[in-house]
Amino acid sequence: MLKIENLHARIGDTEILKGLTLSLGTGEVHAIMGPNGSGKSTLASILAGREDYEVTAGSITFDGVDLLELDATERAVAGIFLAFQYPVEIPGVSNINFLRTALNSIREQREEAPISGKDFLAKVKACAQLVELDGKLRDRSVNEGFSGGEKKRNEVFQMAMLEPRLAVLDETDSGLDIDALRIVSHGVNSMRSADRSFLVITHYQRLLDHIVPDHVHVLAGGRIVHSGGKELALELEEKGYDWIVDAQATEQA
Amino acid sequence: MSEVATPSKHAVLATRITDACSAHGVVGEGNPQAIAALEALPYPTTRQERWKYTRVTRLLDIAPQATPAGTLPEPVLAGLDAHTLTFVAGQYMGDDILDEGPEGCFVGPRSVALERYPQRVLEGSTDGFATTEWFAALQSAAPQDGGCVIVPAGHRLERPVVLRHHMPSGIGVAQPEHLFLIGDGATAEGIIWSDSATDAAGLLNGAITAKVGDMADFSLEIVQDEPGELHHIGHHHFTQGANSKLTVRTATANAHWLRNDLHIVQDGVHADSTFHGCYLPNGQQFVDHHTRIDHAHPDGRSNELYKGLAADRSTAVFNGKIMVHKDAQRIEAYQSNRNLLLGEQAAMYAKPELEIYADDVRCSHGCTTGQFDREALFYLRSRGMTETAAHNLLVQAFLAEVLDGFREEIRDYVHDVYARRLGWS
Repeated sequence: MLKIENLHARIGDTEILKGLTLSLGTGEVHAIMGPNGSGKSTLASILAGREDYEVTAGSITFDGVDLLELDATERAVAGIFLAFQYPVEIPGVSNINFLRTALNSIREQREEAPISGKDFLAKVKACAQLVELDGKLRDRSVNEGFSGGEKKRNEVFQMAMLEPRLAVLDETDSGLDIDALRIVSHGVNSMRSADRSFLVITHYQRLLDHIVPDHVHVLAGGRIVHSGGKELALELEEKGYDWIVDAQATEQA
Repeated sequence: MSEVATPSKHAVLATRITDACSAHGVVGEGNPQAIAALEALPYPTTRQERWKYTRVTRLLDIAPQATPAGTLPEPVLAGLDAHTLTFVAGQYMGDDILDEGPEGCFVGPRSVALERYPQRVLEGSTDGFATTEWFAALQSAAPQDGGCVIVPAGHRLERPVVLRHHMPSGIGVAQPEHLFLIGDGATAEGIIWSDSATDAAGLLNGAITAKVGDMADFSLEIVQDEPGELHHIGHHHFTQGANSKLTVRTATANAHWLRNDLHIVQDGVHADSTFHGCYLPNGQQFVDHHTRIDHAHPDGRSNELYKGLAADRSTAVFNGKIMVHKDAQRIEAYQSNRNLLLGEQAAMYAKPELEIYADDVRCSHGCTTGQFDREALFYLRSRGMTETAAHNLLVQAFLAEVLDGFREEIRDYVHDVYARRLGWS
């Protein structure tokens, strides 16, 4: 479904990704872990189409389409969703109006009819239940005055509403207490399906106790330096990142 | 032999305008103090602080022609249950008058009010800007017809009053004057709707005066919807008594060149004023809102919010003055002016002015001018919205704070005008 090859990217003069290669199959859940500053959030931003980054080499294909040719809107229409690490507050726009506009904008670009009011409300209700988002938060301005946990639940709520083919979760666990972590994970797990893939970016292993990945990759210095099964996350939690990063350095030397 | 001095250009303009107004019909003789002021006052220039960004030299060349009879477009608020009076270029069109006698309510043109109740009208009239501002003096020197709404003490006007003024095609001139006299404890709602033909040009130099009594409650919605190339100067003057409540909302939907002077005087304790406004010039349009509130007595409160966008090569000006007099202790005055620039060549000049002579007051002001929040735009686009849909939503959200205060019919209409202008729909 997603194929990233030898990706190099920079912001300003700083090169952040230095030859990242990664491939995700349909229906798979991949976790990306790595030390701070390794390029995890850069990868998430580039996948979603943030224009601040410049891709200097390499390629990304999504279902065979050159993703780098699509802008942020077109990527969402193609089925990519980014759950933001820092969801943006938008005063004056209600959560519901925001989602209806987004949903219908996507449908229009896919040449589908707008969703009916009845279907929309039924969907809102079902998706809100999934992450235990209460009615007040649905009607409030997007993320305005939400707690950290509410913002992350709102991201997963939006994900459930938009039903992406590939969901990228950028440190969705940061700032969550144990209950919110459970709720958010439950929301993500109930969306797992044979035709939907997830890229879970996290600094800590604890999220992966709840959202169990098929593959775990270690991102360091702008490249994937090690890959393994779900047990790799536990090993990283125990031993830290240094042993892999050091081994990689030795290998290269 | 005596030399005859060449009259100044603005004196020639004054004569041309007053002659044109008189030819079409004025109401009354013209205010003698205004006529004197018109001769004494200098013509505004950009060297004066109040006119720094507002070039009025171009107005000197306005030469009104005979007003052609055009068809009057259907009013936008046709469906509203209201008492409506229509004026075309300062002339009353003959709608029904509400007249409950000398002790009751009156809703009709000022010309008729002056005939039937000269005492009531004159008692309530104030000079407003007429002795201090050249264009206001010009208006008051040759005032034309407008609405007159008299609500005596303790009365409530059941239906809102709509005063509609239309400028027809061609280079015209009009100096309408609207008057609201809201007695002690009285309640009323008004709408002043200025519109024009799409090829109207010339000068609309109008006045709105309201005198709001003690414990009265008056709300006024002003809509300026003038396509074409009209120059519009509005002199909006409000005086309110103790424990009264005044709400003035101004929506500039369409304007080629517009200057609004809005002045509220709190002339009693515990007065409460709310004044909001919104504007969205595009092309090479010019929109200037100058506001001033005088807190002259203790324990008053005021809340001012003006929001606007300047697109393309347009210019918007906001100047908001809060004057807190020496005895006006414990007042609360809040002013906020927020602007978005949508074009690289759009300009916004914003200036808050606070003059405080009392020592126990709460005043705040905030003034911002910026562009779209890039982070918010990316967030919306990452959810599948096109750039246009995302802009649309952010502008709606930005203006909602002001637009939502208008009645639904006005809010929806102004929103649609803005939406069409920005190509949202």
